[in-house]
Amino acid sequence: MKQKNLVGYAFISPWLFGFLVFTAGPFLTSIYLSFTRYNIITPPHWVGPANYHVLLTGDPLFWKALSVTFQYALFALPLGIVAGVALALLLNLDLMGISVFRTIFYLPSIVPSVATSVIFLWILNPEIGLVNGLLRNFGIVGPAWLQDTAWSLKSLILMSVWGVGGSMVIYLAGLKDIPSHLYEAALIDGASAWHRVRHITLPMLTPVIFFNLIMGVIGTFQYFTEAYIMTQGGPEDSTLFYALYLFQRAWRYLDMGYASAMAWALFLVVMALTGILFRTQRRWVHYGN
Amino acid sequence: MATETGDRPTRRQFLRRAVGTAAVLGMGKLMTQPDPKMRHYPDRIPVRYWHMLGGQWQAPMERVVQLFNESQTKYEVVPLLLPYEGADSKFMLSVIGDDPPDVMLQWTQAISTWANAGIIQPLDPLMTPAEKAHFLKTVYPVIRKSGWHNGRLYGLVDGFDFWACYYRPDHFREAGLDPDHFPETLEELTEVGKKLHRFDNAGNIRRIGFLPTGFPQFAPLFRGKFYDYKTGKLTLNTPENLRALTYLVEERKRLGFEKVIRFNSSLASDSGVEWPFITGAFSIVVDGEWRVQQMAQYAPNMEYRTAPIPPPATGGQRLAGYCGPNYLTIPKGARQVEGAWEFMKFFSGLVLPERAAEFYIWMSWLPLQAASTNAPVYQAFLNRLPQYRTFLQMAASEYIEVVPPVPDQLYLMDRIKRAEDLATRGALTPQQALEQLEADMAKEHQRRKELGYDE
Repeated sequence: MKQKNLVGYAFISPWLFGFLVFTAGPFLTSIYLSFTRYNIITPPHWVGPANYHVLLTGDPLFWKALSVTFQYALFALPLGIVAGVALALLLNLDLMGISVFRTIFYLPSIVPSVATSVIFLWILNPEIGLVNGLLRNFGIVGPAWLQDTAWSLKSLILMSVWGVGGSMVIYLAGLKDIPSHLYEAALIDGASAWHRVRHITLPMLTPVIFFNLIMGVIGTFQYFTEAYIMTQGGPEDSTLFYALYLFQRAWRYLDMGYASAMAWALFLVVMALTGILFRTQRRWVHYGN
Repeated sequence: MATETGDRPTRRQFLRRAVGTAAVLGMGKLMTQPDPKMRHYPDRIPVRYWHMLGGQWQAPMERVVQLFNESQTKYEVVPLLLPYEGADSKFMLSVIGDDPPDVMLQWTQAISTWANAGIIQPLDPLMTPAEKAHFLKTVYPVIRKSGWHNGRLYGLVDGFDFWACYYRPDHFREAGLDPDHFPETLEELTEVGKKLHRFDNAGNIRRIGFLPTGFPQFAPLFRGKFYDYKTGKLTLNTPENLRALTYLVEERKRLGFEKVIRFNSSLASDSGVEWPFITGAFSIVVDGEWRVQQMAQYAPNMEYRTAPIPPPATGGQRLAGYCGPNYLTIPKGARQVEGAWEFMKFFSGLVLPERAAEFYIWMSWLPLQAASTNAPVYQAFLNRLPQYRTFLQMAASEYIEVVPPVPDQLYLMDRIKRAEDLATRGALTPQQALEQLEADMAKEHQRRKELGYDE
């Protein structure tokens, strides 16, 4: 038995090694670094909780970045869930060539973020962009999108729907898992299509929605690439996402200790939100038992 | 698996292990050495040189390296072109990993930040007293104040950018203006710009006559600056800076912030043959000296001229502006410091400035010192492209500012840019924007103080 275990460990040793060196090691080291003044080159210098104290009391950009990220999460997450579920419901219909549609809707989610960002820079261009070009056909002068303080964050929120294909596939799998006898019973009882969605589909889908919600919370609080490429946090810090500001602190302003404290503050925020969601799940997630 | 003789390895196993160890060590050695294909003088000491000079600059850069190598018996410079995106991170990681290049050419305006963090090493100890005295005596004033931190030289300037006016005589004539008399004051220039603007029936901009942007470029024209070299303190919220920012904001407001955004968004590109000045979208633009060579390449028959941005009529300073130099630096942990310094002197023209004049022609850069500028070959170049003379006039000026040599200079420049953005968008008045800028920097200094930086 012992030898069998050893063989097992030997097989997973490459992963174990990678995990310890590239994940657990940096993870634990960053706890220590968050209590130091560390400019990446010279050895870390212990400063106690000063990074956290300054973060909470002396850095307006920290709060600004947190606020931007919360606003994004508040709108992008529900939007992603609604769009993902709606698309999954449509793509669950028994139509000819439906697999082609599924592929088409899934494809954007596998396009690299960098490529997506560059495409959207054109789509959202105020003068020669696709969106304002379409709006012009209806006599509407579209906003300056990414260059307008009032619209820049909204633009990124709308853009997030582009990548909804990933969660849509999971919703689709969840829909396939709903026992058909529930629908048959509802049909016999005379339930309308809306009632079947409202009282069978959505409740039975809540475990999947919950999963996507948790993953979405974690993902949105790490939102970086699009803001880095498209807006660099501007205009007027309106898209200064938390991860972007953290990156700037670490690599542009060479303040890795402070950035580590920011990373841990973010970790605590995400953990707290996840904890709250787990506590609320008893009220709205149905596991069918 | 048990060995044939208990715990002792067999000869075959021993050989395998020896070969394996040798292979690993050999790979390690290979990975830390320049690619043999890149070596032309394998017997010499390699000097690893990283730069970001791609495109039109790559071939001349490699020619300079080739000439240096031909002039040497001891060192061979091995160049490596890095993509601009991510070059800074790669450079810093190489220093952290103790495998940096020996010399790096870069243009991130962060010499003080990097020097303060110990990423790069001082260069003045490499100079003999005579070399240092010669350097300080012969280079242009702006070079003299660039690349220093806490009294030490950390970055040797090799090429530097100035901003001046490019203007189109054909547009001047079309508007009934005399292109031979470029405005002497900023107020006149603004009026000329208004006459050159063109709008469509709906009031949308079709051509911009002149639109001033760039707080760092314009503040010195109003005798403003962001740093006082005598006191070593930032000077952000000053009457001079306020005048400069107010001017920029008022001019932007006059054309309409939103209208300018839309006009700029409609422009195809900012480079090559699509540069809006070439396409006629702008009559007068403030841009850098590198455009002269691009004009020769992409619009050789187009008539255009250059002139320094004129100062305001009262309280202004002629030949004032802002400079963004390229720096040659030696990172901490560089193996061949002496070889790196030899190359830096060769390339920048600290030795044999007349020969370096040729390098500056190939690169289309401005030389560091009059000795290179006065070389016959460079004078012939200036006769061919007289527009460069405007920038050389500025190089000789005492009133050109560079990024303040403070450890948080990148944060400072980001905040200055934001202050201009807030003011030109109308979110804050220029006065409020400068007050906020000053408050932001005070908070940042307090933050750094609490964390024990800059001790």
